[in-house]
This record gives sequence, C-alpha cells and structure tokens, in this order.
Amino acid sequence: MEEQVKRIMADVLDLDDGAIDENTGRDNVDAWDSMKHITLCLALEEEFKVSFEVQEIETITTYADVLDVLRQKL
Amino acid sequence: MTDAGEQARRLFEDMLEHGETVRAIQAARRLVTEAPGLRQWTFIRRAVERVSAERLGLRKIRVALLSSFSIEFIHDALIAQGFLNELEVEIYQAGFGQFRQEILDPASGLYASKPQVVVLALDGPRLFPFAYAGYLQHLSGGFDQLLEGAEREIEAWLGGFRTQSDATVLIHNFAPSPWRPWGVLDDRVGLGQGHLVASLNERLDRLSRAQRGVYVVDYAGLVSRVGSERWHDDRMDHYAQAPIAQSALPILACEYMKYLRALTGKTRKCVVLDLDNTLWGGVVGEVGAMGIELGPQYPGSAFMAFQRAVLDLSRRGILLALASKNNEGDVREAFARNPHMLLKPEHFAHMEIHWGPKSKSLEAIARKLNIGLEHMVFADDSPIECEQVRSACPVVTVIQLPKQPEQYVRALLEEGLFDGLEHSEEDGKRAELYQQRAQAEAMMAESGSLDEFLRNLETEVALVPVDGTSLARVAQLTQKTNQFTTTTRRYTEADVSRYASDPVWSTTAIRVLDRFGDNGIVGVMLARQDGAVLDVDSFLLSCRVIGRKVETVMLAHLCDQAKARAARRLRGRIIPTKKNEPVRDLYARHGFQRVTVDETSGEVWELDLEQQRVEYPQWLAVVTPTDGRKA
Repeated sequence: MEEQVKRIMADVLDLDDGAIDENTGRDNVDAWDSMKHITLCLALEEEFKVSFEVQEIETITTYADVLDVLRQKL
Repeated sequence: MTDAGEQARRLFEDMLEHGETVRAIQAARRLVTEAPGLRQWTFIRRAVERVSAERLGLRKIRVALLSSFSIEFIHDALIAQGFLNELEVEIYQAGFGQFRQEILDPASGLYASKPQVVVLALDGPRLFPFAYAGYLQHLSGGFDQLLEGAEREIEAWLGGFRTQSDATVLIHNFAPSPWRPWGVLDDRVGLGQGHLVASLNERLDRLSRAQRGVYVVDYAGLVSRVGSERWHDDRMDHYAQAPIAQSALPILACEYMKYLRALTGKTRKCVVLDLDNTLWGGVVGEVGAMGIELGPQYPGSAFMAFQRAVLDLSRRGILLALASKNNEGDVREAFARNPHMLLKPEHFAHMEIHWGPKSKSLEAIARKLNIGLEHMVFADDSPIECEQVRSACPVVTVIQLPKQPEQYVRALLEEGLFDGLEHSEEDGKRAELYQQRAQAEAMMAESGSLDEFLRNLETEVALVPVDGTSLARVAQLTQKTNQFTTTTRRYTEADVSRYASDPVWSTTAIRVLDRFGDNGIVGVMLARQDGAVLDVDSFLLSCRVIGRKVETVMLAHLCDQAKARAARRLRGRIIPTKKNEPVRDLYARHGFQRVTVDETSGEVWELDLEQQRVEYPQWLAVVTPTDGRKA
C-alpha cells in the first residue's frame, strides 16, 4: 500500500516518489494546495475504492496521515 | 496499475522525449484504456507540458472557462485530452462565480486572454434557484416571469460577450433536480419542476440558435446518460463548490473536445469498417450469406443496431468504406441475399475486399477518396488487425470494437469523432457525390485528352456571393479543406457572416455541376480590398473537383471583381502546410509574380491587372449573379 500511495502522491503533487517520507506534508510541499489536496484525496478514493468523509479529508496533512486514514478503511 | 498500464506509460514518456507526437498519442490512448483513472490525466498533462508544444507540433487553442461552480478540477483532463487530439489547450480560468463581471467588463482578464472558445459552465441550482431549491416557494406565483427574467439575463450575457469577442461560445444547459419536492406528484400541482427546467432549456436553445457561434452543450443529456447519482458528488458540492464527481470530469472534457476538434478541422470524414464480427456475427466465408448472425434475435439484433448507427453516420455525410479480408463473391452474396442487411453496397464510397494487409487497404481508400489518413477512423473487432493498422498507419484513429456486439454503437460514437458544427445540404448526399466522382474518373480514363474530358464532363461553375443559405457550408469548407487551400485559415460561421456583410470583403461560394450531377458548393474565395489591391485571404476548393480548371475560373472571376472595384492588383498568398502541396503552384501557373517569401506569412504573389488578367478556360460554363447568364 505504501508504494501505491507514494506513486499517487508523486503523480498528483509532481514529486519524485523516492523523495516521499513520513514528513512529506502540506507544510513542505508547495504544490500541495487546497485544490491539489482534494484531487489527491479523490485519486486515493478511486485507487483504493474507498470513500472519505469530509472530516477525514480535513485530517490529512501528511503522507503519514494518508496511511493512517487508509489503514482504518481497508 | 497493471503491467500494460506501466508499459504504456513508459512508451508514452519515451515517445514524448523523442518528439514522436503521433506515437506518444497512441501510447497515451492505450494508457487511459488499460489503466483508467484520474491521475493518468494529471500524469499525461504534466509530461506533455514538460516538452515544448512546438516540438510536438501541437496546435494551440485558447479556451476560457467561466463557471458558477468550481470547474478547475477539469483542467488536467481537458489539457491531456487536447494532447490526444494534437492540440495545446491553453486555459484561461475565470475566478469562481466571477463570470458576470468577466463578461460585462471589457477590460477583464477574459478578453485580455483572447479566447477562441469560451465555455459557460453554468449550473442551474446556483444560477436559477427558483427552479431548484426555491421551487415550492415560487410555485403559487407561477414561473412565467421568472423564466422570462432568466432568458433575458442569459441573453444579456451572450449579447454583452459578443460585443467584445468573436469566440465560439459553449453554454451548458441545465440538468433537472434529482429530487422533486412534490415527489411523484410533480407536474400535477402546477408546473412540475422537471418541466420547469425543460422550459428553461428550451429558451436557452432558442437563444443559442438566434446567435452565431453559440452552441448549447447538452449537459442535462450528459448527466442523464451517465446517471445523476454517478455524475454528482454531493459531498464535494457542499465542501468545495465542485458538484461534478471526479470520474465524470473526463466525460465532460470529452464533450468539450468534440467542439474543439470541429473548430480545428479535426472532425473525421470517413469510417472504414471490417465485415466479419463487425457488421455481422460469424465469418461469411464459413457460414455463408444466410448463416451470418444478423437479424431480430441476439446477437444478430446487436449487429443490426450497429449497422443502423453506421447508416446514420452515412446520412450525416460521413463516408463509409470497407476493409475486409474475404472473398469478394461471399461478401457480394451476403449483401445481395441476406434480408436483414441494412447497409447496402451503394452506401460505401469504396470497398477493399482482399487478403492483403488492412493498412494497405486504408491507404488505398485514402487515395481513392482523396482524404487524409488522419481524417479516417478504422473499426475492427480483431486486436491483431487493429494493432497492424496502428503500427503501419499511426495517424488513423483505431476503434477496437469490444467483445460484446451490443457495445459496438457506444464504441463508435462515444468520442464524437464525427461531430461537426455545421451541417449542409451537401452532407446528406456525400456518398452519392463520391459515386458521381467515380463515374467522372472512369470517363476521364476513357477520354483522350484533358480538353476532351472537360468537354465531355459538361461542367458548369456558378460563382455567387456568400449569403445566409451558403454560410454554414462555406464555414465548413474553411474548416475541413486541407489540400487545395492557399492559406488554410479556419473560419466559423460568425466570421464568415461578418465578412459577407462587410463591403471591404468580397466573399464568393463556388458551386459546380456536371453531367453526373450537382456537386454542391465545393469552393470558397474570401478577398479583402486594400486600396488598389484586392487581397485574397482564402482560396480553397474541395479535392473532389481538383484538376478540372475550376480554379482558373475562380481566378478569372477574381480579376473581374477586382476590376469592378477599381483595384489594380490582385494579391494572393501561399502558406505551405504538410497537406497543401496541390495548391502551391496555383498563382505561378496563372501568371502571378512572386513578390516576397517570408517564413511565417508564406509567399506573396501578385498579378498586375493593368497588364494582365486570368482568362476563363474553354469548355466550362460560368454563371455569375451579375450577368445571370451562362458565358
């Protein structure tokens, strides 16, 4: 799952997937604005066939958060 | 992602890097088929934007998006799909909900962006709440005034926009609300909500028809095709003002692309079909004319439905051709004997039935019908044949038909490859026109000389100023003609209409008749007077009538027009493209002198009318409105 998440983040946020780690977050990735955030969440939903509640979308601020939220769902 | 998806990705990046646009497009198409998903569009967009559009030979088109909701999420899909159509879509995104100000302020960013196409993505619930959330509240008072007010408002936007820009306008119509306050009683208690939205749409249709260059995007139809529940994301509607689900955005982008293709002359002109397991089930060579699956029972019924869709394309003016590996006798027999065959031999402009490779058949059809391979679509059920064509003729659009025949119609029509923005009388009888041409060619082969051929052909050329009746066809010709066209300038109906009513311009439609029938309007001349010079902006002729001295008649007529306008020189321009080889020597062989050669504006040619003129050729009758007689 980690690899898949990294690849999606890399595509959406235009990052090198090797450079993504626990700390990669909205604070340190310029491209990760509010619009990209929604795009990212929707891409994750599609890829993992899950659905996020708005509260969950708002909780996510880092790569680690993505994994947390997804683990609860899968 | 699947292995095939990963492979397509790598191939795509590789081809992009080498500037192999057509191959990169093929790989990108495969990628979105093998591994569909939002991020593929983002990936394609980003990869394409890394390479310069010039290097890829993409044609730029400036699109402005104005909306009453957040439509920004469509950008990736729109730009990526543009690439699939060899377009560089440059987007101007107006601020969310700012569309009124943008339209009404002549100094707005909208006009500064000089858009060629403007999308007005308006949604009913935000714009006209009386027909949605406020429905019950207004029900007792009636809706006539509200509807009238809505119509006037839209009219003011369209009118205001037109005073500032000639861009083509694509305006969404409105989808009905999925939930009705009166439930099943909707329409029994006053005007139903469903009906109300339909009346709003009727008014919008009327407005758009009354204005040139305004087209209604049938958003309601799209929502209903996909299904309102799949189309909408209520969560994002409330949270981010983005009512359209992410999975629906590529479908909306695909809808816009139909218009962009039409506006850039990319509408496909011909569909080349396989026979066995495409137009009927089974292999005719094995089961015979009466054994093929075609008829009222499944799967025959699905093949009949597909034939009907193909026949409808032919009625729209799309040329049909066959590329089949079969014995010709078996095929003839199937057409002649099977009573369920909706398509008849006369519906096909050309047939290639033999055992040679299909790519060769496509090339032969392109030559025979004189159209470019890039305007052809090939549909076949066999992955092997499809791959062979993709590999040997990469510019042909290949539709690999799905496993189940009931999905064929969708596969053929989904992308709207054949959708154009103009329809003319000529379209409906195109197949017939091509048959006339085939007869004329047969006659030419028998004639001893060109003069004898022309004499036998009894050609009559009518040159008439462009008017309301020819506007659509003239615009269509500027958009579709690629070979015999001096400048390849594309014009919309709105453009042509403006020139036709401007006395500085001389606009002429050319109609050609011969002993085999009426070819309809096949040529256009647009010229602009600049003092002592009559400057030919556009000069084009359908390839159906090339080689019959019609162009000489046209130039002779231009000389007359220039004289009548007291112009002393006739000026023409040749802007070379990959396709317009046949027109390059037009001015040279009619006595014009080359004045300048410029890399961007091409060659400029002039004819000094005080010394010279172009004479009308023999054997062609000429009809002009000024003398009203045959010369």
